[in-house]
This record gives sequence, C-alpha cells and structure tokens, in this order.
Amino acid sequence: MKAAKFEYERPRDLGAALALLREAGGDAKLVAGSQSLGPMLNLRLAQPSLLVDVRGLPELRDVRDDGDHVFIGACTTHADIEDGRVPDPTQGFLRKVARGIAYRAVRNRGTVGGSLAHADPAADWVSAMAVLDAGVVVRGADGERTIPASQFVLGIMSTAMGEGEILVGVRVPKLSPKSRWSYWKYCRKTGEFAEGIGAFVVDPARNWWRGVMGATEGAPVVIEDARSLDPAAVASEAYEAGTYEHQVHAVALKRAAAALNP
Amino acid sequence: MKTAAKGVGARLPRKEDARFLRGQGQYIGNIRMVGMLDVAFARSSIAHGRIRGIAKPVGHEGSVYTADDLAGVKPIVANSGLKGFKPSELPVLAKGKVRFVGEMLAMCVAPTRAEAEDLAAAVEADIEPLPAVHDMLEALQPGAPRIHEHWSDNAFLETLVDADLAEVKARAAIKVTRRIRTARQAMNPMEGRAVLAYFDRRLDQLVVYSGDQMPHITRTGLSECLGIDHGRIHVISPDVGGGFGYKALLLPEAVCVAWLALQLGRPVRWLEDRYEQLSANANCREHHYDITGYADADGRLLAVDCDAVVDSGAYSLYPFSACLEAAQVGSILPGPYRMEKYRCRTWSAATNKPGILPYRGVARTGVCFAIELLMDAIARAAKREPHEVRILNLVPPEAMPFVNVTNKYFDSGDYPQAVRRALEALDWDAWRRKQARGLPDGSRIGLGLAIYCEQAAHGTSVYFGWGIPMVPGHEQCQARLSPDGVLELRIGAHSHGQGMETSFAQVANELIGVDPQNVRLIHGDTALTPYSTGTWGSRCAVMSGGAVATACEEIGRRVRQIAGKLMEVAAEDLELANGEVRVAGTDRKMTLAEVAHVWYRQPQLLPADVDPGGLETTSGYKAKKDTGTFSYACHAVAVAVDTELGHVDILDYAICEDGGTLINPMIVDGQIYGGLAQGIGTALYEEMPYSEDAQPLASTLADYMLPGPTEVPEPRVDHMETPSPLTFFGQKGIGEGGAIAPPAAIANAVNDALAPLGVELLECPVSPRRILAALAAARR
Amino acid sequence: MKTIKLTVNGQRVTGQVEPRTHLADFLRDHFMLTGTNVGCEHGVCGACTLWIDGAPARSCITYAVACDGADVRTIEGFEDDEVMAALRDAFTAEHALQCGYCTPGMLATSRDIVLRLPDADEARVREELSGNLCRCTGYVGIVRAVMRVLASRRGAS
Repeated sequence: MKAAKFEYERPRDLGAALALLREAGGDAKLVAGSQSLGPMLNLRLAQPSLLVDVRGLPELRDVRDDGDHVFIGACTTHADIEDGRVPDPTQGFLRKVARGIAYRAVRNRGTVGGSLAHADPAADWVSAMAVLDAGVVVRGADGERTIPASQFVLGIMSTAMGEGEILVGVRVPKLSPKSRWSYWKYCRKTGEFAEGIGAFVVDPARNWWRGVMGATEGAPVVIEDARSLDPAAVASEAYEAGTYEHQVHAVALKRAAAALNP
Repeated sequence: MKTAAKGVGARLPRKEDARFLRGQGQYIGNIRMVGMLDVAFARSSIAHGRIRGIAKPVGHEGSVYTADDLAGVKPIVANSGLKGFKPSELPVLAKGKVRFVGEMLAMCVAPTRAEAEDLAAAVEADIEPLPAVHDMLEALQPGAPRIHEHWSDNAFLETLVDADLAEVKARAAIKVTRRIRTARQAMNPMEGRAVLAYFDRRLDQLVVYSGDQMPHITRTGLSECLGIDHGRIHVISPDVGGGFGYKALLLPEAVCVAWLALQLGRPVRWLEDRYEQLSANANCREHHYDITGYADADGRLLAVDCDAVVDSGAYSLYPFSACLEAAQVGSILPGPYRMEKYRCRTWSAATNKPGILPYRGVARTGVCFAIELLMDAIARAAKREPHEVRILNLVPPEAMPFVNVTNKYFDSGDYPQAVRRALEALDWDAWRRKQARGLPDGSRIGLGLAIYCEQAAHGTSVYFGWGIPMVPGHEQCQARLSPDGVLELRIGAHSHGQGMETSFAQVANELIGVDPQNVRLIHGDTALTPYSTGTWGSRCAVMSGGAVATACEEIGRRVRQIAGKLMEVAAEDLELANGEVRVAGTDRKMTLAEVAHVWYRQPQLLPADVDPGGLETTSGYKAKKDTGTFSYACHAVAVAVDTELGHVDILDYAICEDGGTLINPMIVDGQIYGGLAQGIGTALYEEMPYSEDAQPLASTLADYMLPGPTEVPEPRVDHMETPSPLTFFGQKGIGEGGAIAPPAAIANAVNDALAPLGVELLECPVSPRRILAALAAARR
Repeated sequence: MKTIKLTVNGQRVTGQVEPRTHLADFLRDHFMLTGTNVGCEHGVCGACTLWIDGAPARSCITYAVACDGADVRTIEGFEDDEVMAALRDAFTAEHALQCGYCTPGMLATSRDIVLRLPDADEARVREELSGNLCRCTGYVGIVRAVMRVLASRRGAS
C-alpha cells in the first residue's frame, strides 16, 4: 500500500511549526520518527494533506535536569533512553520500559513524544508516564502548559491536546534512591503491542505506591494508592469479569505486583 | 551407496547464497524496464453481492479496466473430473457478482503504483449486497445463500470412502468421538505475488515474468485464457521469495496484466502488497472434522469414521481445483496406521472467501491434527501412554511395502522406530518426571507427539483420476556439457528457496564427477527448459533429481564413449570423478573439458560410432512406481502452559524423520526447520477470522501473527535414512513434512498438560483465548 | 516534489521525490539499489531494514523527504565491511537463508547485534532478531550464524 498524497514541511523552529499547524486548520499531522504514523499513512488509514516534520526541532531535543525532575524532549528516541544517552531519573524504570518497546529498528527512530501524541493505549510510554505521574508539556498559540500524564490519553488515538498544540516533552519526576518499581506486560510474541500492562512505582520519599493498568481500550487506569491492590477489581473498572481481557489485565497487575518484591 | 564429498549426501553450502547475501537477488520487483507502468486493482470490500455498476474515476476512464473491457479474455476454469464435481468459472475481473472480499473489480494502470492506487481508491462500485456465507458448515445447510447460483447446493464436490462399520462398532470397547477444527490461514511468503509482462515485437511473443512455482503451467493457463498459442507466450520466473503453494496457480492478476501489456504495447507490472495478501488471499488450511475412532480395550484401532469439510472458498483455482484438498482428506486420513475398517465422507464447501490453494502439507496438516488428537483421546480412554497406542497401531516395518486401507502403497519405512527415536531425542521419560514435579511458577508441563507419513512425488496414476487441469507425467532434464567442461542442466521445475542450484549440482557430481562449481542450473524459463508441472507436492528431489541423474548418466555414457576412443580403452574401464575421466587403476586421465573440446573442436578424433546427439541430451524420468514416496516423521514436544494467561511456551522439540537418502542434509534440515516454524504458526498463532458478513478481520501483520525467533525453537532432529526402493538414489520428498505434525504434537501436549483440569482442546491455533475459555468452562 | 540531499552508501546524492515516497522505494527506484526488499509497508516484517545515521531502521515507514541530510547505508553499501563479511560467511556456513528475501534486513539487524551487544547470549540474539520475520528458515541458521560471529569476535579479542 502506498500512502495517499501529502505535502511535507520541515519547519526550522517551534514557532514555525505552530504556524503551519494553524494554517492547515486541522488537516495537518505532526511527525517525528514516523514509526507510528508511517504504517497508518501507507495503509491509507490516515490521509492528512500536510505532514509537519518536527524531528529536528531544537526545542524538542532538549534534555534538562531541572532539580526535582528531568525534562526529556519529545524527539528523544526510545533508543536514546534505552542506551542511557539521556539521564534516567527513575532508577532504571525508563530504561527497562524503553528496551521492551517494539524492535530496535523502531526504537532507533521512534520518539517518546511521538508515541504519546499518537496515543495508542497499548504503547508503553502511555502507561509508564502515567504511573510515574510525569507531566506532558505541550505548547500552542496560547503558550505552554503541562498536562498530567495520567490525564493525557483520553481514548484510542485521542489526547487532551488541543488542535494546534505540539507536545514538546515530558517532565519525569526524580525518584528517590530507595524507590522500587516494576513493569510487566503480556505480548503474544516479542515486540508486538501489549494485550495487558501492569506497572508499579513505590517511592517512600514521596509516600508513593502508585500503580497503573495499561493497554486498555482508552486511558490507562491509574491506581493512586496501590498498597492493597485487588487486581481483579481494578480490571473490572475497564472489563467485564469472566472475559479474556479482564483475565489478562488482572494477571498483568498481579505479576507486576509480585515483581515488586523479589 | 557411498557418499561423495561433493555429491549426494554432502552438506554442501549453497551456491545461490552469494547473490542474496549481497542484495543481488533478482526478484520481479527488482526488474526495471523502459516505459514500465504499474497496476493496482480495485477490490471488492463486500463478500457477496450483485454488481450493478462500476464507475471509473472521471477523467481517468482510459486508465481503468473492468470485465467488459477485457474482450476475448476467457474466465479461469479449473474443473475436476471426479464424479459430481460442480463446474464454475472465475472471471479474471468480477462479472455479475462478487463472491469474496478482495475479488478484483477493476484494473488501474499508472506510471507509479501510488498513482495506480489513487485511481483504485476512486473507483466506485455499486454492489447490491447479498447474504454472505462465512462458515463452511452453514454453507452446506439447505437454504444457505447460493455462491454459484446454478448449483443445487454449496458443495464443489462430495466424496465417500464407504465401509460397513456395524460389526466393528459392536465389538469396540472404546469409542471416541470428537469435533475438530483448523483455522483459515494466509501463507505469507516474504515476497508477495508478482507479474511483469510486455510484448516482444521481434519475436511476436508475450513475455511474462511471474513469481511462480510452475511457469510452464502458467504458460498453459495464459494460453487458454488469452486465446493465443503457447509459442506466443514466454514465461520467466526469476528469483522467487518463497512460495509454499501460494505461487502455484494461474493468477487472475497475471491474465489481466498480460492482456494489458498486449493492449498498451508497454511493460506492465503488478506487485502484490501484504495488505492485499492478507485481506484478499487468506486461502488455506480451514478444515472441520466430525471423527469417531473405534478401538479395543488396549487401544488397537478397529475403525475410523469421519465426516470432513474443507472450506474451499468461492472459486476453483487453476490447476489444483477446489476439490483436491477435501478429496485428499478422504484418502489420507488413516495416516500411517493399520485399521480394519474406514469410512470417510468429505465435502469441499463453497463459501464467500478466497478460493482454496494447497499450502505446505496440503490436507496432511489438518488430517494429522484430526487423527493424532483422536489417537491421544483413545490413549486416554485406554489409560495408556500416547506412544504405546501409536506403536500398537502403526504399520510395522515387517509389513512393508504395505497397501493401506485406502490403497496407498507405503514403499518402505519403520514408523514405530521413528516414534521411539523421537521420544529418545526429547527424553520423554525425563520430561514426565519434570511434569510430576511441576514448575515453580505454576505453569503446567505437557508432552505431545504426532506422527505422519507424507506421500510425495506422486505422479500420473494418482493424478489422472482427479481429472484436474494438470496431470504430472515424466519429468525431463536437458543436460549439456559445454566446451569448457561446464555442465548446464535445464529443468522445468523452479526454486523458491529450496536450493536446487546446489542439490542438483551435487547429483551431477555424484554421476559424472563434475565439480558443483562447474554446474549451472537453468530453471524457471519456459523458453529454456523442458515442460514440467513445476514445484509442488515435495516432488522435485525425486522427479527433477531423478531426471537430472538420468541425464547425467547419459552424458557420462557419451563422455566415456569418446574418451575410450581417445585413450584407447573400453568405455567400461573409465571412471568419472573430480572433473576427470580416468582409466581405472591407472594414472591415465583426461579432464571433462578435454573430452568436450574434442566433440566441439576436433570432431575428426571422435569414434566412428559416436552418438550423434553429442554432449547434449534430454532425458526423462519417472519413479519406479508413480504412487510416490512416503517419507515420515515423528514430532515430540514438551510445552509449558501458563494457565492464568493461556500462553504456551515450547520447552523442547524433537523430530525423528526419515527422508530416505538425503541429497543435501543441510538443505533437508533447513526444510524441516522452516516447516516447523510454519507448523508452530498453525498450532499457536496464525488464523484469519472472518466476520458474519465474511469480512477478513486480520488485515495487517499486527493482527495476523507470524512466528518470530522467540516463538520458534531449534528442534533436535534425528535422521533415519531408509532409502526408497522406487527412486534414483532412494531419496524421498520431504519439503512439506515439517509443517504437517506440529499442530497435532503441540495440541496434544497442551491437552496432556490440561487433562487433569478436564480440558481438551480440539481447535487450532491453540490460542490463549481458547485455552482460557476451555479452562473456565471446565471449572463451571 | 521535494529536492533532498543525502549520503547513500558513502556517496553524496541529490534526488527529487514525492513526500509520500518511502525511503525503500526511493532507493530502489531512483538509485537502482534493489537489495532492500519491501515486505509489508507497515513496519512489522523487517525485510526493509537498512542503516540510517549509524543505526538500523525500517525504510518502509521512513519517508525519503525526512532523510534530507541523512547518512544511509543499504546492503549494497556493506561490500567492504568486515563485520558484514563475517556475517555473510557465517550465513552461508549455517544455511541462514533459503529464498533470500528477508536476508538483507536480517544482515542489517545482525550487524547491529554483533557491534552493539558483543556479549549477547542466544536468548538475547533471538529477542533482538524478533523484528525480522523469515518464512523459510525457521531462524535456526540465522541464530547460529550470529552466535558464530559473536563467538569468533569474543575469541579474537
């Protein structure tokens, strides 16, 4: 399948990118690594009239230590994180998640920002950033705002970003040295999208015992206090008991919880 | 027979590797021609309907063709002569009705594929939907919507192997009845189908590059559909990126593209993409069995009684026809077993899905699944180990050659020994002990096995009874020893990965001592090679290999005759080895090149009675009996079933196989490994589900799961080599075997793991959903 | 049409390309570099894997226009590469190819494994190869070939 025709612009800076989006009036798509968008374009499931390539924008490649969190620019690739080329404030959690995304060739091009903005509920960053209580930084004509990751993905391919807003990066809280975490997902085969995700982050300094159930039909289900977790009950928030989906999600939570206490 | 270092039996690295490792393979998509145009097809998104009209995109009508435009092009017809077969036609572009999602409505041509797809997307088809038939059992119900309206029902063919079972039923201590099903699949070679055609004005000939397993059959089919004689068609298959049966047919797309090339006078190309392959061509493997086994208290089989249905899709494809697979079920369901009585009725059911094609293993995979699950069920009823019941019922070696209950002639083999050796290779008993101990994470270990025999290289006497548009006869090879001592071999079959350029060079080395590096195999080109029905049914090692051997023997005879005159010895005293002709027991010798030089450049030195055919010959070959060879294998597997997720892990896999004499054991192993991977796909991962309105539901590789390196382990392979008494070196056809047993072995292992929980799975793929549903049902 | 300048197999080249043309088609059609094969065009099968800016990437879901300024290496560009030569020898010795269609992509990924993960064990090799599908070989020869090259490089060092 060959993509339908589209125009392509590579703006030099974020302001120019925002202007292009505005002019296109909703018929433009942002692209970074194109690992998520490329298949949709080639299959003609997406037919935008304009692609705005933000992969090289300096603002989106920024990586900063900002004290109690690290800012990771949207165009940081999964491989950048996997290989440790960006500081990991999560005691290894980010690196572990990155390593399990799809395949290396995809990780070399695919970006954190692109994956979040694409908002496939089964994408690893969608769940991982939610359990970390990361902040998704977006910029539009009205300026910059930060949306909590747990409220960022609203549904399949649907986010809390407005039309004309660009995801510029994520603010990842620095976990304290005594933190523990786990990330467990079920895939039928290596590298494919997860059927169920369970993840936990325990940070005594923040009094955190956060959990997330991911790879749902929409937003990840965040468990603010996962201390006395009932996996089946959490799964029932999204799935009918007795179904395959309920089982997979309950098991993912159970196994992620077990992995917390080796 | 002795094994030469570079001859039959050598693990010779492949000659053809060099170009593929450098990215120099010449697949059709890599061929460039000046003025070439690309074709995309507008395909039906409705499974069953009446075509009211097809509107071409405004302003581009000249680039879009429908059935009405293809004047003079005949539909594809693939009828069987079997009694009761219902004839039908496959119009190359849809006419009157559409009968499956993906059926071609219009051909769109443009300078690039992307632009051709733009045109295809703009074609508007007005189709009045009809009720769609998505299930083969429903298709056979009275009152089901008719796929072909001139038929009385939706069965291409019914077959019956009949027997009176009353007496056996009365004394059977064990009766086991099961309803067993295999899922529809898409074969998914890595390269899709491909056609590139142009008209050669100098030769007044249509040239068709086709990614093909049977270029000569394609030539015949094109001749019939286009109404032009064979001489005006030249089919060339260059490098083909995988086939497995997917490229063993006359493509409607090839007829269309060839016709268009004649109209436009320019090269025209169509390259199938993965979306087309999945959404329009999931065309194999879907079987349904209602099967009953009758046995005595020890598990000795008395009889098998079966009603089997094969989902044959909407159209009969050329040349194999829609009924081959179901009719084959009837004749091979008994497998390698003895039994007193056997009754089997089959139906080739027509449904609103793509027409069936034989996929690696053909009916054997489904049949093995059905009979091996039945045998395990009998074993459980008899409270015996599965291998005990197998050995009790397998045709024993002392009974060989054996004519079985459906008149199959098993030429040779020790089936019980294959079981014993597979179990040993797996270390079955050690796994039983591990099973008893359990796994720390709570997964349940299960052991399974499956045994089959694979009829291959079967020929005229088997095929003429089918009455399909192809009956294999003798296979030929043209051999020519060049002036420089290079041997050229021309065969009509074609490679799509099985390494013929190397194996047949080894055969030549075995017969006349020529170095495999000095052997050139020419195949795939109808202008350069003898007619052949092509590469299918694991026939090439036996048939093409036998033809190559026969031709080389003849070349050897002629070389000896010439060399004998030159060296003044009797021809019988000459040995051919290492590229030389040597007087036995002496150092006197000539090279093959020196002998050839005399024929080509110094004929004055030739013997007076020299064969005028010279160093070029066409030889034909048939196996001693053309009922084919029977290779066989036993697969044994240990799995771990995660009962919380329904996930199955393969812990260990062992295969004991007997392919007779192995021409290149490395290539044979490769065929087994590849077959196993496809078998694991069938067992655990691959299915194309269809909705109620016959929509294919897995149209990308994200949904249709192909096993990767973490899903396919390396098996232990133990070879028995019982030479076939019927073939040139004793070789047997083995190419499909690896894909036959895994679904049965793995399902049996899963059932062994879950039997204590009251679960028995009878459907593949044995997916997590099915396992969890079965566990839940057993708990209720 | 856009004009792009990039480096392909060590040569600086200029091309005119429609934005919708993916890198694989661009290389195959404009530069006759047909060694890179197209298998699915939705980023799953890995047949199209080549190297962009020093790392393996899928050329079917990467658009040529996005590669302006990039350094691209296809299978044809590894003729003189020492690791690739070792892999080629190993692939032949271990019967790691049959029809050859997945092979250029397999080699691209294998080279990355050998260079990036010199201590990889068989399980890791299989995991890293998961993005490259093969329908012919059952992966046995491919895994053996990569393990062989890894072992010989460990032995040599």
